[in-house]
Amino acid sequence: MTDTSNATRLAELRLKHGRPPASPAEPSAPPRDKDLRKSQPRFRGLEAGHRACQGCGEALATRLVMESAGPDVMIANATGCLEVFTTPWPESAWRVPWIHSLFENAAAVAAGMESAMKAKGHRTKVLAFGGDGGTYDIGFQSLSGMLERYHNVLYVCYDNEAYMNTGIQRSSSTPHAASTTTSPSGKARMGKRHLKKDLLSIIAAHHIPYAASASVAYPTDIRRKVRHAMETEGPTFIVIHSPCPLGWGHDGSVTIEVARKAVQCGLFPLVELERGEVCNVMPIRQPQPVSEYLKLQSRFRHLFNDKDPRALEERQHLQALADHNITLFNLRGDQADPMDTAGMDTVRRGGPVH
Amino acid sequence: MTHVLTRGAYALPGTSLAFKTGDWRSTEKPLHHHRKAPCHDACPAGEDQQAWLARLQEGNLEGAWLELVKANPLPAITGRVCPHPCETACNRKHMDQPIAIHNVERWLGDEAISRGWQYPVTTPSAEAPKVAVVGAGPGGLSAAYHLVRLGYRATVFEALPEIGGLLRAAIPMTRLPRSIIDAEGERLLALPGLELLLRQKLGRDVSLAELRSEFAAVVLAPGCQKSRPWDVAGAVPQHLHEGLHLLKEWIDHGWLPEARRVVVHGGGNTAVDLCRIMKRNGAEEVHLLTASGLPGPDTDPDDVLNVVPRELEEALEEGIQIHPHVTINRLIMKGSVFTGVEMVSLRKLPGQDGRKRRIPFEGTERLLHCDMVVPSIGEIVDPEGIEEILGQHKYLHPKDDTCELGDHPGVYVLGDARGDRGTVAAAIGDGRMAALTIQRRINGAEPLPPDTREVATFDKLNIEYFDRTERAPLRKLPVAERNDESEIELDLTGPEAAAEARRCMSCGNCLACDNCWTLCPDNAVIKTVEMASDGTHYVFDYDFCKGCGLCSAECPCGFIDMVPEDTVLPAATT
Amino acid sequence: MRQALEGSQAIAQAVSRCRPEVVAAYPITPQTHIVENISKLVADGVLDTELVSVESEFSAASVILGAAAAGARAYTASSSQGILLMAEVLFNISGLRIPVVMTCANRAVSAPLSIWNDHADSMAVRDCGWIQLHCLDNQEAVDSTVQAFKIAQDTELPVMVCMDGFVLTHTLEVVDMPEQDLIDRFLPPFKFQRALDPKRPITQGALVSPDFFGEIRHSHHAAMQKSAAVIESVDADWAALTGRRCGGLLTVEGPADAETGVLALGSMCGTLLEAMETLPMDRPVKLIKLRCFRPFPEAALREATAGLRDLIVLDRAVTPGLGGTVGTEVKGTLYGTDPGPRIHTYAVGLGGRDIPLDILPDLVATLDKPVAPFGVFDADLEKLAPEDR
Repeated sequence: MTDTSNATRLAELRLKHGRPPASPAEPSAPPRDKDLRKSQPRFRGLEAGHRACQGCGEALATRLVMESAGPDVMIANATGCLEVFTTPWPESAWRVPWIHSLFENAAAVAAGMESAMKAKGHRTKVLAFGGDGGTYDIGFQSLSGMLERYHNVLYVCYDNEAYMNTGIQRSSSTPHAASTTTSPSGKARMGKRHLKKDLLSIIAAHHIPYAASASVAYPTDIRRKVRHAMETEGPTFIVIHSPCPLGWGHDGSVTIEVARKAVQCGLFPLVELERGEVCNVMPIRQPQPVSEYLKLQSRFRHLFNDKDPRALEERQHLQALADHNITLFNLRGDQADPMDTAGMDTVRRGGPVH
Repeated sequence: MTHVLTRGAYALPGTSLAFKTGDWRSTEKPLHHHRKAPCHDACPAGEDQQAWLARLQEGNLEGAWLELVKANPLPAITGRVCPHPCETACNRKHMDQPIAIHNVERWLGDEAISRGWQYPVTTPSAEAPKVAVVGAGPGGLSAAYHLVRLGYRATVFEALPEIGGLLRAAIPMTRLPRSIIDAEGERLLALPGLELLLRQKLGRDVSLAELRSEFAAVVLAPGCQKSRPWDVAGAVPQHLHEGLHLLKEWIDHGWLPEARRVVVHGGGNTAVDLCRIMKRNGAEEVHLLTASGLPGPDTDPDDVLNVVPRELEEALEEGIQIHPHVTINRLIMKGSVFTGVEMVSLRKLPGQDGRKRRIPFEGTERLLHCDMVVPSIGEIVDPEGIEEILGQHKYLHPKDDTCELGDHPGVYVLGDARGDRGTVAAAIGDGRMAALTIQRRINGAEPLPPDTREVATFDKLNIEYFDRTERAPLRKLPVAERNDESEIELDLTGPEAAAEARRCMSCGNCLACDNCWTLCPDNAVIKTVEMASDGTHYVFDYDFCKGCGLCSAECPCGFIDMVPEDTVLPAATT
Repeated sequence: MRQALEGSQAIAQAVSRCRPEVVAAYPITPQTHIVENISKLVADGVLDTELVSVESEFSAASVILGAAAAGARAYTASSSQGILLMAEVLFNISGLRIPVVMTCANRAVSAPLSIWNDHADSMAVRDCGWIQLHCLDNQEAVDSTVQAFKIAQDTELPVMVCMDGFVLTHTLEVVDMPEQDLIDRFLPPFKFQRALDPKRPITQGALVSPDFFGEIRHSHHAAMQKSAAVIESVDADWAALTGRRCGGLLTVEGPADAETGVLALGSMCGTLLEAMETLPMDRPVKLIKLRCFRPFPEAALREATAGLRDLIVLDRAVTPGLGGTVGTEVKGTLYGTDPGPRIHTYAVGLGGRDIPLDILPDLVATLDKPVAPFGVFDADLEKLAPEDR
């Protein structure tokens, strides 16, 4: 190739990729306008135009997972908010092969897809997405089966701690004392009477290669965990704490703040398990009082009624549960750590530090 | 639009883009809002510290220096002598410690000298208007530099045989090595279109009237060359040495009067420098008597001793005894021999008219025996050559930051001669403002309006995204090794400077941290390769933004505001 | 090659030769032998497939849904409670228009618990939108299984091959097992236009608003109706290749001029045919063997019943409170035909009760009386307390 044609080719490439021209003589790229969207330096697995509520934690978590999972995936999605707000026919917000079958069978459908990939010798990774209802409750059996049969599937549970799609009914993932439409607080009751199911321990009992909890408040951590799961052969599981502004009763602008507080108070510990054993935790730099987390959300409003002695009791109960998590997982850091709850989200010019 | 139903009702990828969720925004939308960083706001030289720290963060050292010299051509000098109000204002202090902006500036200035970086200046045309600058101190040099940057020619008239003004005359080598003045001075004087005329004193060698008729504008940066008259109830000791004069004598000739116990009366850098020199040159006791207070929680910031904080610290290390909130009530004489002073405590207190005045407290008088008292209470403008514009005043008083002398069009006054300035950085800032004003006047425009942008206060930041970090250590010569020649404060290392730069939180301006882009649940923040029109790499796609406000809440820098729908982008300001 | 094989074993071999890429199954009597035999073929290295031993029938159906959606030929088998547990998925598979094949080893539905044969299971999911084919004997079951894969592929509809539990699945019969190369010629590799594929990332299973739902259901119904022609042509193609027919949508056996007809499905037809051949009858009777229950072959049925005076419809399941499903549907189909036959509807052989040869003369003997309401023909009401009769 001659120098001239090299230069021409380079100029073409610069134009194509939207780089500024190397010299004024070169033509400059046409105005980008809306086409900017097409040149985002990340995989747009979940596109704009979906109909999630303002500040939806699940939409955010899903977008983050998709960015790290990349284009060579296919997804089985359980019934729920995510399915509904992304796929009102004829529109779809997905840019990967995606199928919604039923509420309780995402893991099984994914197992079938994975079996098909295996049969065909394809490497496309299969993902299954479900909410807490579709994971902790109705889809739990098919999830357990999928894990036991060792399908090469990454199951991601977007945990917003209630049946939000049907109107905020309690699930086995709803935290103790939270008020929902089927566990309302009233004269006789202080919200949900039972505890949040310890799903991760049950998942751990399957001794799968990798399982983790994550939070939308820590996108870098989500990315790392998803990438690790993607690289792991065999069943993997990630549960992502995803606040629901409507169901939890907080403004859409504080979704991250709420999620962060849940982690920092110990109620939602971020841990990683390999073969069922804890292999890493995100240490809490300075544990926040649980009430700092609770008071941001109207689902816990009844716990701040000073005239009701049960309110304090339930608050203390939740504090004790958080403290228990901190002890159980040894979450209290010995010293400031760049990977702890205060260091993990550190940013700098050009992006997050980690 | 009619859709043809697909078999099993499948949908095509990304077709949700047809549904514009931007319609859901009810009242507010996110908007980038540039605020002034507190460091920038506090900087008398008008530096944008954030901008040059940003280049450093990118590892672009020369880019950082070029950004710095947009405002301040003498960073190796200010990086040594500035009282760095930028650091005092730095929001980091609410989290851990302020960024060592001052030391990084010095390091960058020194890098520029050792690597030979040059100002980005093109030769002004031969027809370019020519401006006279009187005085080659930091203010005059800054004015000349900025004029040349703006495409004008400048002629600098300096009364002395050397440039530098106060830098050379009154700042000890231990604070500012002469090689630094020479290096930055020479680089500046080599600028094309800049002419330096030494030994040209206004009123003696050239008249103001001549300058006004021959040049497009006249910039007066003569400094304050005359000591304020000092006496105690009309009494003055024999052989009185006045502070600035004594300092110049020592710097020029190495001469100091002998004294065992010295009292210095005053409260500026000159006073403290003098104390330290006297102490180092054999005085057993050196006392500084000042009407101001020492920095501390109980002291009103307006009432603090006007000294570079670390200079004060070093003076204390070296054993200078400081007596705050006192003044000299009378001189103690034994016959005609001076033997000490009587001092009395005082405070600046508001009177009936609301104005503050100094109130001495009866019953607090005490004696301090000494051989010598050195007044160092400041200087005033030397009236020679400017009598017609000075009148009976001690200083020339331009109307505002434009440096324009109200009644005398085309005359600009900057630096110490204004009476309301007190630092090298302020003089440099004046030089820049004067040059900008001259440019606008020449072009028939009004001067730039003051920058009224809001300051990005600490509460605007989301500090979750910044981790606590240690400030770079400041290394100094041990007290025992200090002499009259060696610089006491030592330079940062490159890695230290880089680490310090990374501590910048980019208050009020985009850090390019990707948070908004990362955390938008609706993919409504778009990242751009080239800068968007507002100087960031992010664009809000209002077609899809639902107005949740997450980006605003999670912006570490307080750069995103939620504003009413009809708000338009304010014009970008520099 | 002609071989004496147990029905389940024959099905397993036939399925194996159709080269399924994914097989998912959960054990339930009387389907178990099919799955066991497939597992053995896999273990022996005869069949190369992803065999997914799921934790429930619900997942079995879900796995084949996912596998076929991802472009793989997929198969499962079940029975009774298993079919009912799958029910939600069965509707979903067909609504998504995903082509899969399932063997239903027909069995009664509990309670009371019965592991023996009747058609309550497949009849219970008659609205699930699957093609349902019934088999007379094991040869038909083998041939229909091979055809089912072809039909599913051509129509993008799921196919359920119904064979009577125990009666066929556990019975040793001589079967002409089609050779591999013959099946390969008949059945091309699986291809699914809408398969999930990162190169063409479509979204399956969207939410459909009231503006479009009716149209989607219409298209599903239309597809089922159009599939009738495919079912017939596939059977014809198979016959051309093997010389064996399975009976298209339905077939008529016996004297053409008979004015009495009996309509039945599955292995009952074998019993009735033998009765017709071996027992003295006081009048000519012809048998209408309904092979294809879904789509319901209305036109063929009207043609087959033309000229009949009496039509006996035998169900092997009960729709409590109404009667027999097939009987009711036949009545509906023939409503308004003039002159239409008198239609007698009965259920027989429930919960594995043996259907003896002489049931045919017993049935014919009732024709002289006025048309009786639906009843379980072989039920002995004496066994019930009077208040429960």
